[in-house]
Amino acid sequence: MKVLFINNLGGGYADHLHVQDGITVEQLFKQQLPGCKAEDYLIRVNRQPSARDQALQEGDRVSITPLKIDGAGA
Amino acid sequence: MKKETPRRNSPRPRKPLLRFTPYAWAKLQWFCHRGETEIGGFGVSAVDDLLLLEDFVTVKQDVTCVSVKFDDEAVADFFDQQVDLGRKPQQFARIWLHTHPGNCPNPSGTDEETFARVFGSCDWAVMFIVAEEGATYARLRFNVGPGGECVVPVGIDCARGFPASDHEAWESEYQTNIHPDFMGFGCHDSVPSRSDLPAVDGSAWRDDGATSATTSGGGASGGDPFDVDPPHWWDEPELMAMVDDPDFYDAFEDESEVLP
Repeated sequence: MKVLFINNLGGGYADHLHVQDGITVEQLFKQQLPGCKAEDYLIRVNRQPSARDQALQEGDRVSITPLKIDGAGA
Repeated sequence: MKKETPRRNSPRPRKPLLRFTPYAWAKLQWFCHRGETEIGGFGVSAVDDLLLLEDFVTVKQDVTCVSVKFDDEAVADFFDQQVDLGRKPQQFARIWLHTHPGNCPNPSGTDEETFARVFGSCDWAVMFIVAEEGATYARLRFNVGPGGECVVPVGIDCARGFPASDHEAWESEYQTNIHPDFMGFGCHDSVPSRSDLPAVDGSAWRDDGATSATTSGGGASGGDPFDVDPPHWWDEPELMAMVDDPDFYDAFEDESEVLP
């Protein structure tokens, strides 16, 4: 099945991915971002926060975006 | 016989130069001076020239006069909106811009931590800061190959067409996204970070502006907590070496106006 996958790591990605049926959010994260910690990112499916064991459906949109973008004056 | 150097057809600079279209620069400046707080956002790059910013886009954020904090959900919404517009992350999520109060655009420890943590896994990214009084700082980091980073000059590029300013739309965006928090924290040209401020007993401030506050901890004991001398760019050996290097100025194109 295909899902739309969005993330900014490496070269960045915003395109459709072929994944195995029934793959969970956690499995997709580990496949696509090996070595990264899920708690460092906001992971959403179809613009809603997701559980790590949520099974993906055909056509889902999965986005992985950074947390805590903070700046402060010197 | 002297060998001729082939002329470049592309107007792109030989060295990295972060450029703004007049529209993007005007919008950033408008947001910078709209309120008395820091503000931040992402740069949206031209599809064929990723160091040319065509727009500055804010997301929902909590701000004070010395800090800016993006809302995590709003960042995710921004990614979704930009992808829906047909853009790739390298066009909209690699150039992080924010403002500083006063005259110092140098990154703080918080800025460095965010740049490393959030953008350190991207192939490349830019941290851009503009101080309230106009000075700028831009650093390009590469995370591919051997990696590396350099401070890059900043300019305005008028070579391409650009839309007119739109204060009405910018005001709407400001009202929607910028959420100031002034709770007990005044603004000043050289405001120290909150952690630098001395602990103050709550009843000590007087209406005449003087204070009889008692201090504790690591603050300036007994002195004016706002009497802080900000760092200057000419105190930075790396920046001084850069501006003393004649090759530095070769990076600028004729059509680019160099910003302070």
